Amino acid sequence: MPPLLKLILIRLGLGVLTLFLVSLIVFAATQLLPGDPAQAILGKDAADKARYEALRQQLQLDRPLYEQYTSWLAGVMVGDMGNSIVQQDVPVTDLLADRLINSTVLVLFAALLSIPIAILIGALSAVWRDSRFDSTTNLTNLTLAALPEFVVGILLVLFFATAVFNWMPAVSRVDSEVPLSQQLDLFVLPAITLCIAVVPYISRMLRASTIEVLESEYVMMARLKGLSGNLVLWRHSMPNAIVPTLQVIALNLAWLAGGIVTVEYLFGFPGVGQALVDSVANRDIPMVQALCLLIAAVYVVLNLIADVATILISPRLRTGLR
Amino acid sequence: MSDEYRDLQNLLASMGNTRLTRRSLLKYAAAGGVLAGLGPLVAACGGSEPTTSPSAAGSPKQGGNLRVGIVGGSAKDTLDGQTATSEPQICTTFQLYDALLGWDADYQMVPLLAAEWSANADASVWSVKLRDDVVFHDGKPMTADDVVYSYKRIIDPKSPKMGASQLALLPTSGIRKVDASTVEFHLDSPSAIFEEAMALYANCIVPEGFDLKKPVGTGPFKIKTNKPGEQYVFDANTEYWGDGPYVDQLTIMEFADATARVNALLGGTVEAISQLPAAQVKVVEGGGMKVLNAETGAWQPFTMRIDQKPFDDVRVRQAFRLMVDRQGMIDQAYAGFGGIGNDMYSPFDPGTPQLEQRAQDLEQAKSLLKQAGHDGDLEVTLNTSDAIGSAAVAAAQVFAEQAKGAGVTVNVKKVDSGAYWDAGNYLSYTFSQDFWYTRNYLSQTNQGTMPNAPYNETHWKNEQWQAIVEEAMRTGDKAKRNELIAEAQKIEYDEGGYIVWAFNNQIDGYSPKLGGVVPNKSGVPLSSFHFNNFFFV
Repeated sequence: MPPLLKLILIRLGLGVLTLFLVSLIVFAATQLLPGDPAQAILGKDAADKARYEALRQQLQLDRPLYEQYTSWLAGVMVGDMGNSIVQQDVPVTDLLADRLINSTVLVLFAALLSIPIAILIGALSAVWRDSRFDSTTNLTNLTLAALPEFVVGILLVLFFATAVFNWMPAVSRVDSEVPLSQQLDLFVLPAITLCIAVVPYISRMLRASTIEVLESEYVMMARLKGLSGNLVLWRHSMPNAIVPTLQVIALNLAWLAGGIVTVEYLFGFPGVGQALVDSVANRDIPMVQALCLLIAAVYVVLNLIADVATILISPRLRTGLR
Repeated sequence: MSDEYRDLQNLLASMGNTRLTRRSLLKYAAAGGVLAGLGPLVAACGGSEPTTSPSAAGSPKQGGNLRVGIVGGSAKDTLDGQTATSEPQICTTFQLYDALLGWDADYQMVPLLAAEWSANADASVWSVKLRDDVVFHDGKPMTADDVVYSYKRIIDPKSPKMGASQLALLPTSGIRKVDASTVEFHLDSPSAIFEEAMALYANCIVPEGFDLKKPVGTGPFKIKTNKPGEQYVFDANTEYWGDGPYVDQLTIMEFADATARVNALLGGTVEAISQLPAAQVKVVEGGGMKVLNAETGAWQPFTMRIDQKPFDDVRVRQAFRLMVDRQGMIDQAYAGFGGIGNDMYSPFDPGTPQLEQRAQDLEQAKSLLKQAGHDGDLEVTLNTSDAIGSAAVAAAQVFAEQAKGAGVTVNVKKVDSGAYWDAGNYLSYTFSQDFWYTRNYLSQTNQGTMPNAPYNETHWKNEQWQAIVEEAMRTGDKAKRNELIAEAQKIEYDEGGYIVWAFNNQIDGYSPKLGGVVPNKSGVPLSSFHFNNFFFV
């Protein structure tokens, strides 16, 4: 079996183990929180003992903890993610499917926007280091990284949607009944916000590693041979410079996939982050588990892709595998 | 040698170009500050000029798609009107269902599904004659059987609904069908206010064999799409027995964040929003929208447990009530959007007396505290939370400031929203806050101050007062009842554990394209969600 394939399979196996551990920890942590779904549903009315007890029984919350966990786990093994506790008899997959699609499309948008821009900015900053361009982008990057995402979002909405121009919709209420292709304008401002959130990190990382590569001897050799600047940069330096940046990209994409709750709240965007916060507030274990497993799986897969890409791109590691 | 010298020169030059001087730092900081300050400036001068609004009494035009943004975002809401507690669920309940009775915009009782209602001499048997023109969304006519089924469903001991505690005096055997359009309620003991339980929105009528998976009611709108936590889409019920609906379709969208809700209104995604934060009123008006400012009987009192120190001494309670500068607290916590309170609840109850308006009197407060044995050394913890309402924490902080003037140290303890209502917290706090919507006096006492009330935060217990209230509950004659209520109110005014400092206004926002939007005293937003009365001008 080719060594790369073996590596991938081992990593996937470890990934499954990670997911199992995550589910155990999430279950334990949610149980430690005060309150339970019945209290969350009734709110202030939970003081009415009769209703509270009746609801607890209805929701099957009086079963022992290990039984609650194992019956859930047994379901997951056969692909049944269970039913939501607060929306009784409604499968978790029904409640999450649309939000999942929305968040995936949003992250894809943000990724397609941010990765090329960040690479371009990082590479050019490295080539023109210490120039006016470099110092301006440096300052902008730091400022944008320091601003919380929702502040960036508010400014964008003010500028493009309400106060100054009316070009974009002010909120992104994606309607699941309408095909996404007709609602793409709703994704623009949130995607730009997320893009602004991750570009500083990726571009700074790339700038640092590109500078290091550009000072190395083989690049000097390429220049001495008379190769053009572009060729030197993109064909010879970038494959090595991008290796550390791939990890940063993977981490940032996984962070985006976890759902940026503040951006979702600000734009009224029905995504995964809001669902997770709400499910935790409701102590709705099956929903919380499904979402946490999803996010953990995304982390595992994205990190795996980053590692495999690193190996494939950088010749040293490729030969080192054998 | 010359290469290195040139490199060094370049290096020094580049350092000089990018050196962050104090001047350039200040320049950048100023630019950042301008950017931050730009926001409110832009908001204030942006948007179209305020449009001259068409007459509010414009004749209702038929048609249109009404979109409304409300507070929400939690997936735990269902379409079961009888369990309505959260704002989104209350909103959908008003669209899908009706109760036997209801409240009009001035908080006067009106018949809904009932054509007439009456009680016998001692208010132990209530009789309701139903309208004969009501059909459910599936075309089936409403009859007495449905009413009996609905009430039995509410008080079902295996799964009691939200209104069950107000129907505590009604046994299952007491719900009797007399004929196809008449129902009688035989109570275990007399209750003059049983009609208020019949008017509660959560005691709504559903058809026999009601199935939550396909909810059917008598209300002005039928459910089309149900996405809890996100949005609901309704179609107009063309066979509705009451006024309207004038629009063809209704979409209710939930927004957890106030900024998103306001943006949705300003950007034209929705035509009306609920719970407009007071701070955003100017923004909304500047954006060409209108503000619905309704005076209500809703209140967010400070609650003092009369069975625990230091509040077991009535003088301490009276002193605390005198420490409050009520108008000042309204200006700070409600941005002026509130009516002044006089330590009595149920402002719209005809029995509530006009007593001397309490004002801040720090000298008297200090003197009372001294008599009670506290000489400038009293320290209490005030439990508050965002879960009570948006202004609650602000009010708590204002109270702490005002209390200093009387030598009392108030430690404001902000409890997490998820934990505030937990058993062991809520109803156990010595000194805290709570929120209530508009209710008349006897209803309110059944919920908050009678011995078996579910939400007795102050642990109020007073034999003399209790006897008066129980007698009022049995009195059918309105004039006599009002006298008794006035007596009971006076006792609470003198000795009670509540500090009722204000009745908050309900502030919502809506587009000038809408008509039929009127203030409602119940405290429920957007004309108590009576969207059947809204129309496009």
